Amino acid sequence: MRQWIVLAIAALVLSAIGFALGAYQTDVYRKLLLWITLALGYNFLFGISGQVAFSHFTFYGIGAYAIVILLFQVGLPLPLAVLVGIALCVVLALIVAIPATRLEGFYLALATLAFAQLFIVVLNEGGAVTGAAGGLANYRLPDVFGMRVTGPWYTVVIVLLLLSTWTILWRLDRSYFGRACRAVRDDPEAARAMGVNVAHTKIIAYTVTSALAGMAGMVYAFVDNTVNPLIFGLENVFLLLFMVIVGGSGRHAGAVVGAVLLYLLPLVLSPLIGHHHALVFGVFMVVVVLFQPKGLIGLWDMLRKRGGRA
Amino acid sequence: MSAPLLVVRALSKSFGGLQAVADVDLDVYAGEILGVIGPNGAGKSTTFSMIAGALPPTSGTLMLDGESLLTLPTHAFARRGIMRTFQHNKPFVSMSLQDNVMVGMHTRLGGGLWRVLLNLGGAARTEQDAAHRANELIDFVGLGEWRDADVSSLSFGQGRLLEIARGLAAEPRLMLFDEPAAGLTPAECERLAVIIRQIAKRGIAVVLIEHDMRFLMALADRVVVLNFGRKIAQGTPAEVQRDAAVVSAYLGDVNVPDRNSMKAVGHA
Repeated sequence: MRQWIVLAIAALVLSAIGFALGAYQTDVYRKLLLWITLALGYNFLFGISGQVAFSHFTFYGIGAYAIVILLFQVGLPLPLAVLVGIALCVVLALIVAIPATRLEGFYLALATLAFAQLFIVVLNEGGAVTGAAGGLANYRLPDVFGMRVTGPWYTVVIVLLLLSTWTILWRLDRSYFGRACRAVRDDPEAARAMGVNVAHTKIIAYTVTSALAGMAGMVYAFVDNTVNPLIFGLENVFLLLFMVIVGGSGRHAGAVVGAVLLYLLPLVLSPLIGHHHALVFGVFMVVVVLFQPKGLIGLWDMLRKRGGRA
Repeated sequence: MSAPLLVVRALSKSFGGLQAVADVDLDVYAGEILGVIGPNGAGKSTTFSMIAGALPPTSGTLMLDGESLLTLPTHAFARRGIMRTFQHNKPFVSMSLQDNVMVGMHTRLGGGLWRVLLNLGGAARTEQDAAHRANELIDFVGLGEWRDADVSSLSFGQGRLLEIARGLAAEPRLMLFDEPAAGLTPAECERLAVIIRQIAKRGIAVVLIEHDMRFLMALADRVVVLNFGRKIAQGTPAEVQRDAAVVSAYLGDVNVPDRNSMKAVGHA
């Protein structure tokens, strides 16, 4: 019950912000919410389940392309297109996960990196279906119950996406499944002795988080009303990884902090120092990894403990 | 006497040409403490791993309560009621003590992810009960004071106690201890012996693989002695200590078995 009240208040506040913003700010705000959504999912995959996978952003792209193709080329109605899009993400995630989660660390990273690259190749070679290098554009969200969902109302859709993603991951984390994921990450042999099916646990974590990324992608498709291969390239894959690490791997709050900071940092820095912002960004990353491996949220914990003692 | 809980017959394991365990028979009854001893390389650890499901036997049978365990994957052993501790503690280092113990309840907390996601059937309530039980187990093994400690800050002996609480969390029928006294101080050993006795009193069958003779002889109801991968004696601790084959296995004897098995032991 308390959880629902907190969620309702969060939904109201985050939506209200959407109604108060101008055009440019709305664009920044929506993308920030989407980055937080992605970082939450990737935190579960990388931070909690311990799978070093580079395919999370790819599923974001798959979701985005899928909804556009299903709506405007296949001609499905919106609810069906969403369901088919999710199903597609689940099937693709299983195809990647079943062989790949047998691999450990480095090899899983390589396999998912190859998958991410393959996706870009398919987009570029996809002809009219994917729009090749130019991508797909000139479409808009079909009416929902005869109403156009635009402007701040579409921001509300993104808020709901974020909060449902949060709720799903939060509940999974605080269940036997979340503990199994962490146990597998910490010590697979001991996890097995506790009755945890290690392969199943990894596959489910991978598939659930990939499907959530796909859903976020579907919502993203109507933010810019264009999808193209550049957006889903490797640069953003690594940005997502940095967000989770800087914020504090394995912590939901860490993912939020990391996403907010790393998404906004270039926006704040580039007007001040131009392209040198990449340098500041890089130095910041190195400093965090070297001196604060538990991320900014770990730093916050430390300060709070000290404050409590004093 | 009722039927044994665990029945092991002709259990064998060979690694290539090396016979690590050969034709071992064991019966373990509910509520008893069975000690398995033997000199280095006698096949104790291999036998333990097979009973724990971590290593598939080359041949032989393993039956728990009349059901074969042979084809089961490792993780299925916990669901059948077989839990273990590790000789070198294997805690989940990033998790709290309570969460460590709750991982032990994994097989008792299923019910599906939909139930968790939609909070059906009181999933939140189940979690609360589980957390409560985990705290009881932490108290039972005497770690109550360290409830909020970082798992990585526990001493080796405390880590061992955490492993026991984690194992008990699954409500096992058979609890396997892999050299539980190794690395413990004498005071910790005494405390451990008390806990193991209490576990057996709850009706749980206990199997101990142990190096430390003094610890085991004072604790076990029955002892099985392995040497060169074979069972050479069994009985009460007193009987085993008088057994000529056991004495020679530990102290050496002119009647050394054949050369091949000697070589095998060297590699085991």
